[in-house]
Amino acid sequence: MKTLNLTVNGQAVSAAVEPRTHLADFLREHEGLTGTHLGCEHGVCGACTVEIDGAPARSCIQFAVRCEGATVRTIEGFEDDAVMRQLRAAFSAEHALQCGYCTPGMLVTARDIVMRLPHLTGAHDEARIRVELAGNLCRCTGYQGIVRAIQRVLRQRAGIDAA
Amino acid sequence: MNQSDVKHIAGSAAPQGVGASVERKEDRRLMSGRGQFVGDLRLAGMWDVAFVRSPVAHGVLKGVEKPAGQEAAVFTMDDMPGVRPIRAVSGLPGFKPSEQWPLARGKVRQVGELVAACIAPTRALAEDIAQAVYADIEELPAVVDMVGARTAPPALVHDEWGDNIFLESLVDGDLSSIADAPIKVRRHIRTARQCMSPLEGRGVVCQWDSRLEQLTMWSSAQMVHINRQGLSECLGLDSGQIRVIAPDVGGGFGYKGILLPEEIVLAYLCMKLGRPLRWIEDRREQLIANANCREHDYDITVYANRDGRLLGIDCEATVDSGAYSSYPFSACLEAAQVGSILPGPYKMERYRCKTWSVASNKAPILPYRGVARTGVCFALELMVDAIAREAGMEPIDVRLANVVRPEEMPYDNITKKHFDSGDYPRVLRMARDAVGLREVRARQKAGEADGRRIGVGFAVYCEQAAHGTSVYFGWGIPMVPGHEQCRARLNADGVLELSIGAHSHGQGMETTMAQVAHQILGIDVARVRLSHGDTGQSPYSTGTWGSRSMVMSGGAVAAACKEMARRVKQIAAKMAGCDTGALKLAGGMVFEGDVPRMSLAEIAHVWHRAPQLLPADIDPAGLEVIAGYKAARDTGTFSYACHAVVVAVDTELGAVEILDYAIAEDGGTLVNPMVVDGQIIGGTAQGIGTALYEEMPFDENGQPLASTLADYMLPGAPEVPAIRIDHIETPSPYTEFGQKGIGEGGAIAPPAAIANAINDALRDMGVEVTESPVTPRRLLAAIAAARKGVAA
Ligand code: FES
Ligand code: FES
Repeated sequence: MKTLNLTVNGQAVSAAVEPRTHLADFLREHEGLTGTHLGCEHGVCGACTVEIDGAPARSCIQFAVRCEGATVRTIEGFEDDAVMRQLRAAFSAEHALQCGYCTPGMLVTARDIVMRLPHLTGAHDEARIRVELAGNLCRCTGYQGIVRAIQRVLRQRAGIDAA
Repeated sequence: MNQSDVKHIAGSAAPQGVGASVERKEDRRLMSGRGQFVGDLRLAGMWDVAFVRSPVAHGVLKGVEKPAGQEAAVFTMDDMPGVRPIRAVSGLPGFKPSEQWPLARGKVRQVGELVAACIAPTRALAEDIAQAVYADIEELPAVVDMVGARTAPPALVHDEWGDNIFLESLVDGDLSSIADAPIKVRRHIRTARQCMSPLEGRGVVCQWDSRLEQLTMWSSAQMVHINRQGLSECLGLDSGQIRVIAPDVGGGFGYKGILLPEEIVLAYLCMKLGRPLRWIEDRREQLIANANCREHDYDITVYANRDGRLLGIDCEATVDSGAYSSYPFSACLEAAQVGSILPGPYKMERYRCKTWSVASNKAPILPYRGVARTGVCFALELMVDAIAREAGMEPIDVRLANVVRPEEMPYDNITKKHFDSGDYPRVLRMARDAVGLREVRARQKAGEADGRRIGVGFAVYCEQAAHGTSVYFGWGIPMVPGHEQCRARLNADGVLELSIGAHSHGQGMETTMAQVAHQILGIDVARVRLSHGDTGQSPYSTGTWGSRSMVMSGGAVAAACKEMARRVKQIAAKMAGCDTGALKLAGGMVFEGDVPRMSLAEIAHVWHRAPQLLPADIDPAGLEVIAGYKAARDTGTFSYACHAVVVAVDTELGAVEILDYAIAEDGGTLVNPMVVDGQIIGGTAQGIGTALYEEMPFDENGQPLASTLADYMLPGAPEVPAIRIDHIETPSPYTEFGQKGIGEGGAIAPPAAIANAINDALRDMGVEVTESPVTPRRLLAAIAAARKGVAA
């Protein structure tokens, strides 16, 4: 067991963890944050995507003990986030989720796309958005609603469409 | 009228009933990380289970050595006395049943078969124990190739059978009259084995309640009542001692329509140990142990006239059913379906089809979205294009010449399938025009600047859905769908609680069933709560499969709400002193003529909390209803569609890019068009996976060769194009609102349409692919073979 100190969703957390425990298991089993989902545990599906120090990362391929001092934000930590609010409204309007299992990871990635690539507002930017989503698998929606929801928020934020 | 009632009326200004694209009620919790999937449940004292699984495909299990000091944490079949094997027997004559012990006994018959269960406070610790268990297995030759399995078996999967054939069936017909048809095309067509791969795997949590003497099992499942029935049979418990609950389910697609050996093991151990247990399938377990669908082999000959008119089909089809007959669908459903649906939407005079359900050393087959239709559509639609090439016709014109015509509806086809309604030629023309066939032909002539070749492909299918007793009883499997029921209760505050036995695994039934209630009662969908997938709360149902929920459960919800409306009006009439005939329900209110008299909530309040206001002769049945539904005809609804796709093929790399994808579809009356489109697009993405990417290869020892999502390729966002959908709505004459089942259709046509497009692109090179998925390796092999002048 090792002692781990980090910030999770704005709260300081200190816990004893086994060195082999990955961050997703730590968040789910120790912290009860079950919004972070596990789809593969080998870094392909993106269901476990969370924010580590402001950037999206797959929590299934990070050892928890590597996150000493880090700031982690999970899907539960975006309740007051304006961009996430827009994304959630857009996801619902565009039917960007069915079973909802990929959704927490998908939303964290979507938010990163919106923040990092605000210029992707044109119809021809769809291909780029799809490439940006390549690390998040969804087995239900066929991605169309997800892509459209992201486009909708990008356009709203650029003032092209009404929010 | 109180404040909240006014809000309900205002809130219902936007359409909410049948036909409205209502945003989903379930989205909010799922988007906030507050969904509750089976892996999210936490019970006090719960331990984890890790399984020891067979590392070989076929072998004699001579013993299991438990690690010293850990004996009490490891369990084999010998530690579960009284537990019976899973038996899913079909009543079809000649069917050979298999016995699947929840933990292996005697032999192991597939890689990943459960050998022992290990328990510990955490999964990691349980896996540590599992790793130290030694399974002594004497390996036997593996049965891997399904055709070889029956023609030259390297071994017997079930020794006592004498062969490897679960069931052989024949739809017989006399083909002599068409033997000399002007066009006769024969092909060998194959589809690869796949893993359905919902993003959430399977999972089980269970707990024994000593007060109720009841086992509660939470399972990521599609058909909870069937799981309960199977658990009761295998554990020897009475059904009342078992409650199965499906929480939020992270995708199903057929993968979760099964009684699991894991469920039986956890149930037994949880009762034995008096401790809640949990097993959550990981992706490696899923891929290695459970690639369980789609593997077909067709030797097919199609006869036609020079004008492209189909005369008949002669086919021998083999389905690799895997090692065991899975519960409840059995090992023969898929092949039996091949025999009955191979003619597709086409008319023909002659038909013969022989099928084999073959046992192999692979995971037991399960019906994946579209079931046999995806393979059948691939086989038949590739043949239609081959006929078109022989006849020198446009493939779409051959289809137009052969589909059932609207004036012939309802139509009984050559295998006695009863097509309920529709205009098949119209969707063909719509799809043709959506991709601009003429423009594509012109573009092909001009050639591409980058040297790639352009091709266009079509595929049409019909999807028999929500089929009931008359279709299923003949198969004699452990589950025959009959009637569907809904329980409805109007609570004192005017909230309507609905309960059904089907379950949503992404379909959004909490929303769509509420829309049905709104359609009948006028109640705001926000005031409707659906409880589903819980044997303790809901009426019996065979569950969610076969694109049946919107027809069957939707029908049941409508029936319950109609009865509720009758009872509400009866109370309202007494309260208002008028005739029930003068009343109607809208916007959560009871109207007398055009005058709103009282709200549903007021009526419910009086019924529950002020019964003194009601006269003595009021019907005491009250505001709780169970009502049932069966379609006017239970042979199924027939939704149908034509998929059209344009591809660019790189003949050097064997790469295929989808340039355009259009679908013209008829799902009858659409209850929630947004949800319907979501189902179609999601299914199509899965079909694209089937067409181009997804394959579980096995080596000659029966070892699965893809164990991560890096080698089992699911389509991601860049692989799936924007998909355009056009609808026509021909209501089914047999269902409540005219709705047809559509949940599977998207996954049926893409492999056929895409392969046809590839063959169209490479036509003048003499290349013809006949195997899915069309991976670069297969495509380059077909190109090389064509260059050498031999068939691939
Ligand atoms: S669970 Fe982490 S990438 Fe799949
Ligand atoms: S909504 Fe089910 S995996 Fe994305």
